[in-house]
Amino acid sequence: MFAKVLVANRGEIAVRVIRACRELGVRTVAVYSTADASSRAVQLADEAVHIGPAPAKQSYLHIPNVIGAAVKTGVDAIHPGYGFLSEDPYFAAICAEHGITFIGPPPEVMEALGDKATVRGLMGAAGLPLLPGTTTAPASLDEAVAAADEVGFPLLLKASAGGGGRGIAIVRSRGDLPAAFRAVRAQARSLFNDPSVYLERFLEPARHIEVQVMCDDHGGVTHLGERDCSVQRRNQKLLEESPSPAVDAGLRAELGAAAVRGARAVGYRGAGTMEFLLDTENRFWFMEMNCRIQVEHPVTEMVTAIDLVAEQLRVAAGEPLSFTQDDIGIRGHAVECRINAEDPERGFAPTPGVLTAFDAPGGPWVRFDSHCVAGSVVPPHYDSLIAKVIVWAPDRDAALNRMHRALGELRVEGAGLHTTTAFQRELVVHPAFRRGGVTTDFLQTDWREGATGAAPDTAQLTV
Amino acid sequence: MSGVTTPENDAPGTGAAAEGPPTVADLRAEAVLLVAALPVSVRRVRVASGSAVVEVDWAPVDVAAVPVAAVPVMGPAVGGTVPAIVTAAVPSTAVPSTAAPAVARHRVTAPLVGTVYRRPAPGEPPFVDVGDVVEPGRQVAIVEAMKLMNEITTEHGGTVVAIPVEDGEMVEYGQVLVELDPTGNEG
Repeated sequence: MFAKVLVANRGEIAVRVIRACRELGVRTVAVYSTADASSRAVQLADEAVHIGPAPAKQSYLHIPNVIGAAVKTGVDAIHPGYGFLSEDPYFAAICAEHGITFIGPPPEVMEALGDKATVRGLMGAAGLPLLPGTTTAPASLDEAVAAADEVGFPLLLKASAGGGGRGIAIVRSRGDLPAAFRAVRAQARSLFNDPSVYLERFLEPARHIEVQVMCDDHGGVTHLGERDCSVQRRNQKLLEESPSPAVDAGLRAELGAAAVRGARAVGYRGAGTMEFLLDTENRFWFMEMNCRIQVEHPVTEMVTAIDLVAEQLRVAAGEPLSFTQDDIGIRGHAVECRINAEDPERGFAPTPGVLTAFDAPGGPWVRFDSHCVAGSVVPPHYDSLIAKVIVWAPDRDAALNRMHRALGELRVEGAGLHTTTAFQRELVVHPAFRRGGVTTDFLQTDWREGATGAAPDTAQLTV
Repeated sequence: MSGVTTPENDAPGTGAAAEGPPTVADLRAEAVLLVAALPVSVRRVRVASGSAVVEVDWAPVDVAAVPVAAVPVMGPAVGGTVPAIVTAAVPSTAVPSTAAPAVARHRVTAPLVGTVYRRPAPGEPPFVDVGDVVEPGRQVAIVEAMKLMNEITTEHGGTVVAIPVEDGEMVEYGQVLVELDPTGNEG
């Protein structure tokens, strides 16, 4: 096991990684921007290095400063968390050059997974079901139009180098394609430095089902069940649960087998997530693979009793996984609500500021992952996630009731500060949601006005 | 909607529909909110608009906890587009808790993480020594990171009163490299 690990991240995930390290007896180094100088991660870590001013590009994304901090403190490994440098193959290669272990898959695997169009091809070759689409990025509008006619409408234009739900546009008809193609290419160039865009049939309505995989360097390729992340607005997840109410044991086995096949096909190592879409006939289709620990990993931890971050550390240190596939059982039901400093009434606009009150929920099987306390400043420079409330119960109804209770205890206040809590509290008791039937367009509908289950309006996707 | 992916991203939340860069009026409104929210008495507020800035200077309160005030950011601030970077400046004169010096010192700090070198090459004389009088723009050190040598210069002139780093020491961002007693004419 490593002697010392640097956490190249901030916020709640930095605290999460530090906690896993401490339990394994690993010393920790936090890196921080000026805005995070008093953060929880800095307080909890054994050492801390100031790596830049608030803007991420000059701090958490600044590879020389992060590497400088790693060299300065003599760490054995770097855990990149999620976002930031976690899926940057160049950063992983630089770590290797400096004799520092990057906690994640090898750089060449990350590089292969970084082009989503190519990954489609790889997974298709591995026998995973694919929606109609391209496995390369059309180089011209003419190529795109020809491809679109084969793929069929409605379709999605997706940035090949993209992620995080950005750089995606829906195209409902041939006439809309030229303008959308130009727009998404421009967005992709600006967001990801790569204008490549591929096409994929748009499946609506659908459920977002993802499978957690964990792989070591000793031939261990396992899956830890699925998470249902269908509750989203503007492609950002708000609530996740495991297991999915739409997945029975048979489908779980199929999804797991597909995920394992896909992970093997790309030579994966570490913690990864295979994303699928589930259509109304319970057929699943491969979407993409993420090669990092995810925000919603706690719900998998709660139903499997496996510490995923600890397993990441073990695998990266060359140890085998502490479990086999046969050891994995899905027990009970877990739900997570992301608490974001955002105003649901103003299109979820971020609301940074000072937390004058911050009371955490508690009680049986309530887990609260946060870096904030009363007095914390929520800076405007980063994402708006301030906490995750996770609950477990023996069944889904009990878990949703428990979440309702826990969210009622959570108190977050600050001048101008809003959170999504009230919104989520309504959601977990909403009849349609309780029935378990919601798909990814649910939040686009007038769900708050009618609990009657009336047919939703045709959603206008905002990108 | 479908075709969605995991959203852990490093950028701030998507927020309201893209509004374009903030106007001076927007920034002024934000500055007013910020000043109202700060528990200190504000000395100076600066509002720009190109590349958006709001800067607030306040009188040093207690050196123990210098607040970095968060200013709400307008519009998208996603990597790749022109970021609306809004920062609150910390007091430019941090007063120590014991006897304050009669003149506020100017500190030259490391703008990156790396190794500081006090001389241009091994064996050569250092860029500056304690007691030297320097002009604005004078190079005082090198900070090296990943084989790139970064020249560190002082914005203000004055007399070097302290060099709290060793040759070859690894420094963090913001670490003090050289302290000067500034001479009269700078702002």
